[in-house]
Amino acid sequence: MKPSLQIRLVVGVVSAVLLLLTVFSVGIYSVIRSALLSQFDASLVSIAQILAGSVEVDGDQIELEIEVQQMPELQDRNKPTYYQLWRHDGTVAAKSPLLESSNLPRLAGSPEKPTFKTLRAGAGRVERAAGYGFTPRLSDNDRKTAEPPRLMLTVARDSAAILSQLRFLRWVLFLASGAVILLSILVALLTVRQGLRPLTAIAGEIAAVRETDLATRIAAEDVPGELLPIKERLNDLLSRLEAAFNRERRFTADVAHELRTPLAGIRSTIEVTLSRGRDQKEYKTALSDCLAIIENMQTMVNNLLMIARLDACQAALRREQVHPAELVSSCWRPFSEKAKLRRIAFDNRIQTDAVINSDPQKLSMVLSNLLGNAVEYANDAGQIWVTTHHSDDSIEIAVANTGCRLTSDEVARAFDCFWRGDSSRAGTGTHCGLGLALVQRLVGALGGSAAAEVQLGGVFTVRLTLPASAP
Amino acid sequence: MRLLLIEDYRPLQQSLAKGLREAGFAVDTTGDGQEGLWFAMGNDYDVIILDLMLPGMDGLSLLKKLRAEGRQNHVLILTAKDTLEDRIKGLNLGADDYLVKPFSFEELLARVRALLRRSYREKNPEIKVQNLRIDLTTQRVWHGRDEIRLTPREYALLEYLALRAGQTVSRTDIWEHVYEFKSAASSNVVDVYIGYLRKKIEQPGKPPLIHTVRGRGYTLGVQP
Repeated sequence: MKPSLQIRLVVGVVSAVLLLLTVFSVGIYSVIRSALLSQFDASLVSIAQILAGSVEVDGDQIELEIEVQQMPELQDRNKPTYYQLWRHDGTVAAKSPLLESSNLPRLAGSPEKPTFKTLRAGAGRVERAAGYGFTPRLSDNDRKTAEPPRLMLTVARDSAAILSQLRFLRWVLFLASGAVILLSILVALLTVRQGLRPLTAIAGEIAAVRETDLATRIAAEDVPGELLPIKERLNDLLSRLEAAFNRERRFTADVAHELRTPLAGIRSTIEVTLSRGRDQKEYKTALSDCLAIIENMQTMVNNLLMIARLDACQAALRREQVHPAELVSSCWRPFSEKAKLRRIAFDNRIQTDAVINSDPQKLSMVLSNLLGNAVEYANDAGQIWVTTHHSDDSIEIAVANTGCRLTSDEVARAFDCFWRGDSSRAGTGTHCGLGLALVQRLVGALGGSAAAEVQLGGVFTVRLTLPASAP
Repeated sequence: MRLLLIEDYRPLQQSLAKGLREAGFAVDTTGDGQEGLWFAMGNDYDVIILDLMLPGMDGLSLLKKLRAEGRQNHVLILTAKDTLEDRIKGLNLGADDYLVKPFSFEELLARVRALLRRSYREKNPEIKVQNLRIDLTTQRVWHGRDEIRLTPREYALLEYLALRAGQTVSRTDIWEHVYEFKSAASSNVVDVYIGYLRKKIEQPGKPPLIHTVRGRGYTLGVQP
């Protein structure tokens, strides 16, 4: 299972906050740090400038003005500022008395571009130094004779205060970030939970749907726009399920009804016959009545079983070359006698050379059903005809008969299980209303489709569209 | 007693009609709802046996129309639909009884007889007229201790008169309740059967059981 939406959302929000805070903190820290350092450096440079301005070179003598040496910054022992001055050849020309025996590092640099460096002195002291190379002012005597020598000056001061300020800043930023992150986790959790509440509500409603009561729909008032399609799809699904369940229930009830009626017929025939002594002829009649009912029931059960198998896609297909004209003729044979009695004309208009690739057994079941219906429902002295129509990849077989009294609405239901055209119900019960339902499924199994229509003048036509070659 | 059987499944219709006729009822049959309604409106049937799924007009619509027209016939619904809703719906529309297919013929017969007794406000399945005793269930008739053998038609006539004992019953009433459509239409038939019945149930020297009320009909037992 994927991590929950809640966890994912919270993690996403918190990561984003963390990233933003880090960038923000690092930015603030570096701005403040560089501001503090540049201020510190500027003060070092100004001292260096004062010192450099006070250097006087007289021959080999290099001197600092005494007033400058007395500057409070250079005298303060608690927060001392050190300096050291080198000649061009590297010898020390002067240094701050506070340095005693230690030395400052010699740093390159110029008045325009001094160099800065943080020094780790002993005992945990930290100093920042500025290197400042310059050309001193010459004494009046030398001014005409000599090139002024180049001197190097390093000024350093204890920078522990700045570092502790920066350390404090780091802590403030760290703690503030931590607090903000904790707060954002809390807010994100609450917001996400609040935001996901409609999902929980829908889940609760779905859980409450029972298979016995599919008429319920998910109400979930005030769902947010994003969840509306989900709610609608779920309700659509429920509608489809309900329709399917109702269809099943109706089908089961229909099956029960269709089996109960002939059972009632058998039972009452037998009971009435047994209720008193009869002659042999009466027993014989009763037995053959029962047999006729049982034969019809058997056909019905077989058809139901076939329909169930086709619905479950369990019927095996055996494809081979089939000549529809021959198949129609052989399927017609059992009905020809009955048709002749009722003066019904039959016309097989299929071209004798027509060939399709199909399952001959299933196709003949289809044709027998259609022809049987046609003979049953055609008017006396009516007509039945079968035609084919070829197209590139399919063949259409149409079975038509005259004398149909159904309306278009009724024909639309013709493929439903147990549906019978009203007038046919008064018959002897030989048609149980499964024939066309079976035809439709058989044709479906053969990769085709079946449609029925009634035209003006009472011509009822069932059209089978079958693939011409194996799919 | 005259029954109307409306059932479209022919094997069931035929066997039930045969059994009911053998039990002494006059039975008219039809397999069409519309025709059934016409029959029911045109005659005063004692009991109508009604299937629900019918061509022409379904059974419940037929029942509704029948009751809307104010007909008080007893109706027994006969159907394969057995859910509680179906039964309640049928009874609420004015049916008197309900039988689910497949059923025992004996049970149908017993229920039809119970409805008939209700029609004639007779709870006791045995009717006594003076020293004549009629068992409605077994359809046997005794005079004191002697059993009288009657043909089904004679019994049907006696039963109808007995259920309305003390009242004057017209020839038309007898015709309507004892004979079916298929019988030859002649009121003379009634007089002939009354004659047969008198011979069998009345004993010489005893007061007559069946009285002729001139111009009106017949009365069984004491005249009102």
